Amino acid sequence: MSLLVALAALGGLAAGAPLLTRALGRNAGYVLAAGFLGVACLLAAHTPTVLDDRTVDWSADWIPSLGVSLALRLDGVSLVFSLVALVVGALVMAYCCRYLGDASARGPVYPLLALFAAAMVGLVLADDLVLLYVFWEITTLCSFALVSTAGAKAAGPGRHALVVTVVGGLALLVAVVLLTLATGTTRLSAVLADPASVLDSPYALPIAACVALAAFTKSAQFPFQSWLPGAMVAMTPVSAYLHAATMVKAGIYLLVRMSPLFAGQTAWSAVLITVGLTTALLGAVQALREHDLKAMLARSTVSQLGLLVAVIGVGTSTALAAALLHTMAHALFKATLFMLVGIVDKETGSRDIRELSGLRKVMPWTAAATAVAALSMAGVPPMLGFVSKEYLFMGLLSADVTPWAGPVAGAVAVTASALTFAYGARIVWGAFGGPVEQPELYEPAPAFLAPAAVAAVVGVLAGPAVSLLDPVIDSATTDALPGSTPPSIYAWHGLSPELAMSATTVAVGLVLFWQRDRVDAALQRLRFPDGPALFTRGHDALLAFGGRVGAPDRSPSLAAHLARPLLAVVALGVVGLLTVGPVPARVDAGDPGRWLVVALLGAAVLGTALATRTVALVALVGVAGLFVSLWLLLSGSLDVAITLLLVEVLTAVVLVLVLRDRPLRLPAPGPRRLPTAVLAVAVGLVAAGATAALTGRRELSAAGTFFLDRAEELTGGTNVVNTVLVDFRGLDTLLESVVVGVAALGLLLLGTATVPHPTDTDDVLLRVGTHLLAPGMLLLSAWLLWRGHDEPGGGFISALVAGIAVALRQLASGTVPTRAWLQPGPLLGVGAVLSVGVGLAPLLVGDALLTPFHLVPFLSSALVFDLGVWLMVLALVVAVVQALGARPEHEQVAA
Amino acid sequence: MTAAVAVGLLVAGGSYLVLQRGLLRVVLGFVLLGHAMVVLVLAAGGDRGGFALPGNGGGEPADPLPQAFVLTAVVIAFAVTVYLLGLLRAGSEEPSPADDDARGPS
Repeated sequence: MSLLVALAALGGLAAGAPLLTRALGRNAGYVLAAGFLGVACLLAAHTPTVLDDRTVDWSADWIPSLGVSLALRLDGVSLVFSLVALVVGALVMAYCCRYLGDASARGPVYPLLALFAAAMVGLVLADDLVLLYVFWEITTLCSFALVSTAGAKAAGPGRHALVVTVVGGLALLVAVVLLTLATGTTRLSAVLADPASVLDSPYALPIAACVALAAFTKSAQFPFQSWLPGAMVAMTPVSAYLHAATMVKAGIYLLVRMSPLFAGQTAWSAVLITVGLTTALLGAVQALREHDLKAMLARSTVSQLGLLVAVIGVGTSTALAAALLHTMAHALFKATLFMLVGIVDKETGSRDIRELSGLRKVMPWTAAATAVAALSMAGVPPMLGFVSKEYLFMGLLSADVTPWAGPVAGAVAVTASALTFAYGARIVWGAFGGPVEQPELYEPAPAFLAPAAVAAVVGVLAGPAVSLLDPVIDSATTDALPGSTPPSIYAWHGLSPELAMSATTVAVGLVLFWQRDRVDAALQRLRFPDGPALFTRGHDALLAFGGRVGAPDRSPSLAAHLARPLLAVVALGVVGLLTVGPVPARVDAGDPGRWLVVALLGAAVLGTALATRTVALVALVGVAGLFVSLWLLLSGSLDVAITLLLVEVLTAVVLVLVLRDRPLRLPAPGPRRLPTAVLAVAVGLVAAGATAALTGRRELSAAGTFFLDRAEELTGGTNVVNTVLVDFRGLDTLLESVVVGVAALGLLLLGTATVPHPTDTDDVLLRVGTHLLAPGMLLLSAWLLWRGHDEPGGGFISALVAGIAVALRQLASGTVPTRAWLQPGPLLGVGAVLSVGVGLAPLLVGDALLTPFHLVPFLSSALVFDLGVWLMVLALVVAVVQALGARPEHEQVAA
Repeated sequence: MTAAVAVGLLVAGGSYLVLQRGLLRVVLGFVLLGHAMVVLVLAAGGDRGGFALPGNGGGEPADPLPQAFVLTAVVIAFAVTVYLLGLLRAGSEEPSPADDDARGPS
C-alpha cells in the first residue's frame, strides 16, 4: 500500500505544483524537494524487508480481460533506482529554487519535473509489463515537454530526442507483447521467474532485440547516441535530472531487469558489450573535443552509460553489482557537475572553456565542489566514483563470451576511463584554471551552491563508507540475477588487477592532460558523422517519402480516385481468370425476348457515353433504367421491376428539378477518353465474365425454397418478396429505411436553397394533367400499400407512387408543398415510430423482435410496418423536392 | 447469359461515365453501376423465368430472397442518387475555381 501512497504522493506533487508556484514562486521547489525526500523515506523504510530478500507488493485490477493489473513491487533493484531518482530529484528541485527566475518557475517546469519523477518511480516499481511501458512512455513525453520549454531552438533537438526514444518505446511495446505471448502473463515478476518459457519460445530473439533497442535508444547508445547531446538545449536542471541522472538510466534499469532472462546468453552479451564499449569510447573521445562544458558532460554521460551497458552485458553477479553501484555514483557526480556548470553559466554568462578562465580565484567553493565531483568521475580514490569504477573493471574483466573478451573489454574500459580523467581535468582546468579574467565575479549564493555541494560531499564520503551500501547492492544484485552470490563491496580490496587498471587510467589521464594542447589539436582533426544532421536528413526523407505515397490522394480530380478501385476490379478479374477452375454447367431457363432488351440496353448505354447534351444524357440513362426494369420483369422479378421503374420516373423528375437552371451542354468529357474507355471496357468484361461464371449455375437456394414453401403459412402473405421484407427480414428493412431517412436529413441539411420557386410551367397539359392525376395516384398508392403483402406492391412501391405525385405537382405548379403534415420531419418521425413500435411490440408479450401479429382482423402488423416504411420513403421524396426544387436564393435575387 | 451481358454493359458504361469530367456524368455513372448490381444479385439467385410467387408466372418460381435484397437496394440507391444530386446542386452554388477561370474577373 505504501507503494501506491508513494506514487500518489508524487502525482499529487505534480498536480499541486502549479498552485505551489503561484503561492511561493520559485521557492516551491523546496516543498517539492521535501516531498521527494518524504517519498524516498517512505520507500527506504522498506529497506529491512528488501534486505531480507523479500518484496513489497501492491496490485489492483486494471484490464482484467487481458490480465493486466496495476501491480507495483519494491525489490532491491527498484529500491536503488527509485532512491536515485528521488534523492537526485530532491537536490535538483532545491537547485531549481535558485536557478529559475520567478517567472520561469511559474511555467510548466516544476509540474513536469514532478510528473517525470512520478513516472520514473512508477517505471522502476511497476510489476506489470504494460504498466512499465506506460510509465516508460510518460518519461519520454515529459522529457520532450521539458526540452521544448527551451523555446524555438529546441524544436529540432526535441524532435530528434522524441523520435528516437519513441522508436525505442515502440520496440519495448513489441517486447512486452511478445513476452506476454511467450509466458502467458503480463506480470513482470512472473515473467522473470520463468526464463525457460521465454528462451524456448520462438520469440526469444525478437524479444531480446526489442528490449536492447528500447534500452539503447533511451540510454543513448551507439548508434542512437546523438539525441542526448542535442537535448542539452534544455535548461540545466532538466539536463542534470533527466538527461544525466535518471531518465537515461531507464534503459539501464530495463537491461538490469531483464538480466534474469538473458544474462549469460552469448548474443545478448556480445551485443551489449560491443555496443556499450563502442559508445563508451566514442563518447569519451567526443567529450574531450568539446569546448562547451555542458556538451562535454553530455558526451561524458553517453560514455558512462556505454560502460554501464557493457558491464550489464557481461552479466555476472560482479558485473551487475558494479552496474548498480556505478549507476548511483554516476547519478551523484554527473548531476553535481551539471548543477555546477549551470552555476558557472549563470554567473559568467558562458559555458565555453575558451572564454572562461581563473574562476577558482573568484568562485573558490564552486571550484572545489567541481573538482571533487570531477575526481569522482575520473575514478580517483577515495571517491565513490573510484570504487564503482574498480568494480566496473572487475566486472568487465569477468566477461567470458570469448576467452579474450575480458582483457579486451578491460583495455577498452581503461582507455575510455583515461579519456574520462582527461576531460574531467579539462572541465576543471578549463573553467577554473588559468589567470583571472573576470575579477568582478563572485561566489553564488549559498542556497544556489548547496544542492551541488551536498551531492559532491556525499560522493566523497560514500567512497570510504561504501560498505554501508553493500547490503543494498547485494540484495539488488540477487534480485537482478537470482541465485547468484554477489561480491562484497569494499572501498579497498588490496592490490588487485583493478587497482593496476585504475592506476593506469590515472597515469594515462595525466599524460593526456599534460599534453592537452597536442591532444586537442589531434582530436579536432577527427571527423565524426553529424548525428543530428543525419537524423534530420533521414527524417526529411521519410516525410518526403510519405508525401510521395500520399500524393495520388491529393488529386482534386475524381477520376484519379475512382480509377484505382476500378483497376483493382480488373486485377481481381485477372486473378479470378487464373485461379477459378471449372464451374458447374448452367441451369438457365431460356432467354426468350431478353436478348432484344439487352441489345437495346447496350445501345442506350453506348449513347450515355457519347452524349454531349444534358438532356440526352439524362434521357438515355432513364432509357437504360427502363430496359433494366424490362429485363427484371422478364426475369420474374416483378416487385423489383416495378420499384426500379418508379425510381426511374422519380429520378427523372428530380433531375429535371436539379438541372433546369443548368447549362444544356455537358462539359467536354475530359482529355483522357481513350484510356478511360479502355479501362471501362476492361472492367465491364471482368464484370460480365464474373457474372457468367459465378451465377446461374445452381438450383434454387435452400432459403429461397423455404420462403416459397412456408411464407404464406407463416405470415399470411402470398407475395413472398414482401413477406421477406416485412416479416422474415424486417430488421434489415427497418435499417434500410433508416438509411433512407438519413439521406433525407442529409438533403435537408444541404438544402441551403429554401426560397420557393414559383415559376408556373407553361405546359398546360402537365399542369392540368397533374391536378387530375394526383388524387388518383394517391389512391393507387394506398391500394398498393394495402395489397402489398399478397400481390406486388408494398411500402417501397406505394411510397414511390405517392412521391411521384408530390414531385410532379412541384414540377407543374412550382410550389413546394407547404402542408404541415407533408414535411420530411413529421413524416420521418411518424414512420420511424410506427415501424419501430410495431417491431418492438411483440417484445411486450415475450415474442421475438418483429414477430408478425394481427392488431384487428384485416390489419396485420406487416401492414403497419409497411406504412412506416411508406412514410419514411415519402419523407425522402418530399425532402428532395424541398431541397432541390427551390431555386438558390442568390439566383432569386438576381432574377 | 443475358444477365452477364447486361451487367458487363452497365458496368462498362457506368465506369466510363464516372471517369469523365462533370459531376452529372459521375452521378449518372453511379446510377448505371447500381443497375448493374441489381442485375448481378438477381442473377445470383438463378434465372428460372417464373415470378417469385408460388405457382405463378408460368416458369419455375424465382428465388425471392435476392429480390427482397435488391428491392431495398434500389430504394437506397435512389436515396444515394438524390443525395449526390443534392451535393451537385449545393456545389454549383459556390462557384468553383474552374468557374472563376471561365468567367474571368468579375
